[in-house]
Amino acid sequence: MQRFGFGPRPGEYAQALKDGVEATRAKVLAVPTVDAGANTVVMPEITDLGKRPAANSKEIVPYAIAVRFQIQQLVMWWLDRMALSDHGLTERMTWFWHGHWATSVDKVNFALPMLNQNKTLRTYCLGNFKDMSRAMINDSALQFWLDGQDSTLTAPNENLGRELMELFVLGVDRFTEDDVKAAARALTGYQVVNYSGTLTFNPKRHDPTLITILGKTQTFTGETLSDFLVARDDNATFIAERLWYRFMSSTETMPSSFAPKSALATRDISAAVKAMASDPAIRDEKNDLVKSPVEWFIAACRALKITPSALKTPAQLINYLNQMGQVPFSPPNVGGWPAGEAWLSSATAQYRISFATWLIKQGDLSALTAIPVESRVLKSADWLGVAEWSPRTQAALRNSLADPAQFALLALCSPEFIVSA
Amino acid sequence: MDTVTRRKFLKLTSGAVAVGAAAPLLSIDQIAEAAINRPLPANTPILVVITLYGGNDGLNTVIPFTDPIYFSSRPDISYKPEAVLPISAELALNPAMKGLKALWDQKKVAIIRGVGYPDSDHSHFSSMAKWQTASPAKHISTGWLGRWVDTQSDDPMLAISLGSVLPPMLAGAKRSGSALPLGGLVIPKGDLATQCAKLSRPVAKDSKLMAAAATSMRNLFNLSTTVQPVLKSPAPVAPELPTTNGGNAGGDSNLAQQLDVVAKLIAAGSPTKVWSVSLGGFDTHANEANAQAELLGVVSDSLSRFMGQLKATTRSNDVTIMIYSEFGRRVAGNGSQGTDHGTSGPMFVIGNAVKGGFYGEQPSLKNLYKGDLAVTTDFRDVYATMIEKVLSSPVEPTLGKWAGRVSCFN
Repeated sequence: MQRFGFGPRPGEYAQALKDGVEATRAKVLAVPTVDAGANTVVMPEITDLGKRPAANSKEIVPYAIAVRFQIQQLVMWWLDRMALSDHGLTERMTWFWHGHWATSVDKVNFALPMLNQNKTLRTYCLGNFKDMSRAMINDSALQFWLDGQDSTLTAPNENLGRELMELFVLGVDRFTEDDVKAAARALTGYQVVNYSGTLTFNPKRHDPTLITILGKTQTFTGETLSDFLVARDDNATFIAERLWYRFMSSTETMPSSFAPKSALATRDISAAVKAMASDPAIRDEKNDLVKSPVEWFIAACRALKITPSALKTPAQLINYLNQMGQVPFSPPNVGGWPAGEAWLSSATAQYRISFATWLIKQGDLSALTAIPVESRVLKSADWLGVAEWSPRTQAALRNSLADPAQFALLALCSPEFIVSA
Repeated sequence: MDTVTRRKFLKLTSGAVAVGAAAPLLSIDQIAEAAINRPLPANTPILVVITLYGGNDGLNTVIPFTDPIYFSSRPDISYKPEAVLPISAELALNPAMKGLKALWDQKKVAIIRGVGYPDSDHSHFSSMAKWQTASPAKHISTGWLGRWVDTQSDDPMLAISLGSVLPPMLAGAKRSGSALPLGGLVIPKGDLATQCAKLSRPVAKDSKLMAAAATSMRNLFNLSTTVQPVLKSPAPVAPELPTTNGGNAGGDSNLAQQLDVVAKLIAAGSPTKVWSVSLGGFDTHANEANAQAELLGVVSDSLSRFMGQLKATTRSNDVTIMIYSEFGRRVAGNGSQGTDHGTSGPMFVIGNAVKGGFYGEQPSLKNLYKGDLAVTTDFRDVYATMIEKVLSSPVEPTLGKWAGRVSCFN
């Protein structure tokens, strides 16, 4: 539930324990046709704001305000979907792919192309990786982010070609520097208008000559390059490695028997996720994961029945997430966010305490206070989807029974909640 | 990447860094007592590492101002010979580095030329990871100073990085340094503090990550109880600088703030032997001249301010500063008044114990290696020197059997 969604809402974990492993696994993996919870989130009006007015014109101020407002709306929209969805897998997988094809609005500048990319990732998040990769080659935000629009026949830019091979499709050390240069030529010809999110292909800027990539000589386009790279065996290995890193363990090495690898033979992501859910590694206690700041925040929202956009104020929310080091649509770089230990500094501990205090003040503690005081310490583990509290956390919680807000704060900042077993 | 800052770098690379088991538990009282009762012994050497994120252009920092190739290869961004600050017949400092020039004149600055590592990597992230782990050939998850921390007795205040995320440099296999955000730490008080402290206790069943989560909470308490009162005290006075914050004092930049905190804590006797501070923004692909000069000015001004502050303490002879960046830049300009990622660059080692002067060979502008400046000194020579001469520790646990040294200490 923690790995394939964003944590339980009150009652869901206890229900899952009652239903048993098999039934819960089936429920977690079966994507419903309609997600009523997520559907309550209203799509914000994110529009083409047109070309940026001149620096000193009187239009520039309202324009800049509109740009910023749309980006904030976009962040709130996604956080709300994560917090309110009835079925977490789709949002969770979209989140995974956002970290994989990590594109930042800090360079793209506009909400519209980022929203388009999010829709693409959502469409293919459990589909076929071949289709996803093709769609991403045609994604204006990704192209702009990696300087695709500057890459032409006469001056190919290596940025997109390198990352396509290293970070998106094959993995590091599975190609040479010459392959990077060649891929850059194959990817020439795209042009992007970033405020409208339009991508066009201009054949005059494209390199039509024979290109040799990974030993294969032919003419290439961006799409045929994508198909060619995805067809390589290394692609299945690489996607399995990324699933392992984000869903199993960022510290342990992926065993060669990890089931998603063979499930990815047809590049079917859904099959890989199903295989992962049944892989013995998921029950191995040494495979645990630190909740990233967004994952921790959403899990807290679900327990406290908070709608992120209703928090006062959204700007403060973004500030807290930024202090913790993770704001959706703003990954630090094309490598995406880190994992594990990186989220466990003494400074993060400090920010987590003040963030949790702020959330609890605005949250609903009724699910916690409804648990009889005599059994509250042990039963509160179910409330947050924690298997069991350690003796240290039990001691701290027992001493805070008289103060539900402090009780909740300690539970949310406990090692057992921060780390998902 | 538009701007490469420490934060951005750390967010990527620290993902790969794993820190090991939790340290044994110390109570808040014990730690508070320790800070009062066991200040760093007098005359204990202290290392301050300054990381310049983004790839500082070495040729416009230590400028070969009499070499015609310098002018012909980067006509847009070369400094005029009359503008630079000459420190030898061939080399000069960037015009913005007046403070550093003064320290050079006092023979307190060692400039190590052409520093890098074999098979230079042009990626910010890979190259910085190589520098911070001191393992250019193979990716490893511990940092060079983290491995040194591993060899020392357990103390969360032994190595402290300013800022909220720990740089990989300070991550060890068993232990790691601590992170201290600017402005100090705000922590719960009263009963909540007592209960939070309970959460930080190690338990037998803890996984590695749960132990680390508990440790992070414990370090927060340890740091804040001992450090907080110190941060509220006024900064030591810098006698050489105008007390009404003059323009050249540069007190408003972030690096200056970080070094202010370091100076205060050194003055207070914090039992810390390694400090890590940083400045980002050196990735000058375009419009380099102004951007880099501004940053180098910040470095130079912050350094003279810091050295001035130390003068007012009993520890001015104990502190050594080491400055590095993940790579230098290309010799030729790139057509947008900037430079692209290159290879070697100069390192600075500064302090009263330092034997001022040049070390390492100046890379030739004529005989380039694969189109870039040659590496004439391996950075591990400098690290080994710091470990041996400043931290008075054996080199092998940190760098293996590394033989090279730089003779830049008296």
